[in-house]
Amino acid sequence: MAGSTHGRIIQDNQKKLNHSSGRNSSKAVEILLIGAVLFVFIIILIIPLISVFLKAFEQGAGVYIASITDRIALKAVRLTLITMGFAVVINTAFGLTVAWAVAKFKFKGKNLLVTFIDLPFAISPVVAGLIFVLLFSTTHGVTAPLLNAWGIKIIFAPPGIILATIFVTLPFVARELIPLMEAQGTAEEEAALTLGASGWKTFWFITLPNIKWALLYGVVLTVARAAGEFGAVSVVSGHIRGLTNTLPLHVEILYNEYKFSAAFAVASLLTIIAILNLVIKNISEWKINKQENT
Amino acid sequence: MSIEISNVTKTFDSFQALKDINLTINTGELVALLGPSGSGKTTLLRIIAGLETPDQGNIIFDGEDNTEKSAQDRKVGFVFQHYALFKHMTVFENIAFGLKVRPSKHRPSKEAIQQKVQELLSLVKMEELAKRYPAQLSGGQRQRIALARALAVEPRVLLLDEPFGALDAKVRKDLRRWLRKLHDEYPITSVFVTHDQEEALDVADRIVILNQGKIEQIGTPEEVYDNPVNPFVYHFLGNFNLFHGRVHNGKVELGSLKLDVPEHAGTKNKEIVSFFRPHDIDISLEAGGRDDIEAEILFIRAVGPIVNLELKRLENGDYIEAEISKEVYRKLDLKEKQKVYVKPRDFKVFIPEDYVI
Repeated sequence: MAGSTHGRIIQDNQKKLNHSSGRNSSKAVEILLIGAVLFVFIIILIIPLISVFLKAFEQGAGVYIASITDRIALKAVRLTLITMGFAVVINTAFGLTVAWAVAKFKFKGKNLLVTFIDLPFAISPVVAGLIFVLLFSTTHGVTAPLLNAWGIKIIFAPPGIILATIFVTLPFVARELIPLMEAQGTAEEEAALTLGASGWKTFWFITLPNIKWALLYGVVLTVARAAGEFGAVSVVSGHIRGLTNTLPLHVEILYNEYKFSAAFAVASLLTIIAILNLVIKNISEWKINKQENT
Repeated sequence: MSIEISNVTKTFDSFQALKDINLTINTGELVALLGPSGSGKTTLLRIIAGLETPDQGNIIFDGEDNTEKSAQDRKVGFVFQHYALFKHMTVFENIAFGLKVRPSKHRPSKEAIQQKVQELLSLVKMEELAKRYPAQLSGGQRQRIALARALAVEPRVLLLDEPFGALDAKVRKDLRRWLRKLHDEYPITSVFVTHDQEEALDVADRIVILNQGKIEQIGTPEEVYDNPVNPFVYHFLGNFNLFHGRVHNGKVELGSLKLDVPEHAGTKNKEIVSFFRPHDIDISLEAGGRDDIEAEILFIRAVGPIVNLELKRLENGDYIEAEISKEVYRKLDLKEKQKVYVKPRDFKVFIPEDYVI
């Protein structure tokens, strides 16, 4: 939610600027500031974005389509989608549970819990990846004897990638829901209970409609991070082509092999996911604001 | 349905909200739980509803122990202080909710639900607003919808938490009358929580006065108003004047004023506090006897049929509040700074070591 309040502050500031634009000096400041913002915006965001697509299509649509329909590329797409799926489902369930517990019950250590939920954001993704290697490596991991005995492979295999991704995306849904559910309190749920609704029906008909846009926002952020996560995944993946490569890792490999067009073609897929995410994120932000104002 | 509350105790962390509460509410009664904030009245209401579990004691509905039953199974209608309407549902959907969420074999048909909701909408006089959302309603309208929603499930008991607390004075008064009328037409056992003594005296059949988690007094509005059992109840139920004095052999001495108190005939030389209501005061221009208190009028507020006077007792500077009718005020032709004689018609004497306020 920090992002959206930040946005509102900027909007307010713009209103103030517009307000005082009657005077010439402030008009100049306005032009200067907006100009500076646009300049940075174009250099940092627009040009790189366009160049991704230009580079991707540099050798024609044929190469582009060949690059993204390549067997190994498709495997990477598949693994990325599976990872995203796991991250979204598990983090939604986790986020809802944590937010429900924090917002609706009183218990000791609540503040500590809320603080620790942010741990994955504070920690470097590389360290996050290494934690899982330390835990689950079949050669030197803490659980190595067990894993070897049962023949389970986590590190250098999809389960490791999924675990690392879940770890780095863990806070997104919870962080969106906790403040909202705390603010909404329990009165509506209690009203539903006294009207004879079961716990499940209360959740489905009362709680969920009240939090759905914030939940979607959290899910979008989770998807974006899950699709693009590089550091933690890189550590646990082992870079086995067609087996443990997600899209970002595949892009890196292609790039290191000087297959620039192919690299950018695959990168453009990630970019498209990002843009779609942005659109959904804005819709849900708009809906959250609307909900808050009624 | 009758409600029996027996030996109910509740503690939050270190705060004891309710101490051994015993109370029986008869079928069809409209009872007010009256007390200052923190007196435990809302906690008691929530325990009756099953939204809170007592540490000890039982809640018995019609002889059947409901203590272990969840709020979902108790079939009580609860009206929340801030209404707790479902924001994302229309007025119609709000009222229909309790019927729609029933398990399929107990759920009425769509037509039956439609009819029931229409019936309730006309009961609360809001037929035209069925398609509105709660955000589009005024406070009074929200309150009525919250009531209609609670009544839709045909509850055995209706519980209302500060039902008029968030409304302005005019709407409060209207809704209060309306609730009384509704209860007379549909005599469902009802309990409401309030901190407003006027509201409780005006609406309830019986009033339960709570203070610091304990029941101070139970009785009809007349009983509790005319015969408060202790200074707290006297204090809480309206405006009052307070004199300190002594009681000895059935006589109260309040400075030079001496009054007979037969109920304290056996008491020897004890400190007392004596209370009397501002409307239980006679004012005259001439001294009538030794019961009179000499006082000076400090301030007169003569708006409406009742005239409020603020007086200063000349003997010791005690402050006295009096309410007299406009006729009396005109007849006596009272002015500020005038010297008058004041005599309490009715008063209560309490020995303070028995009570702490």
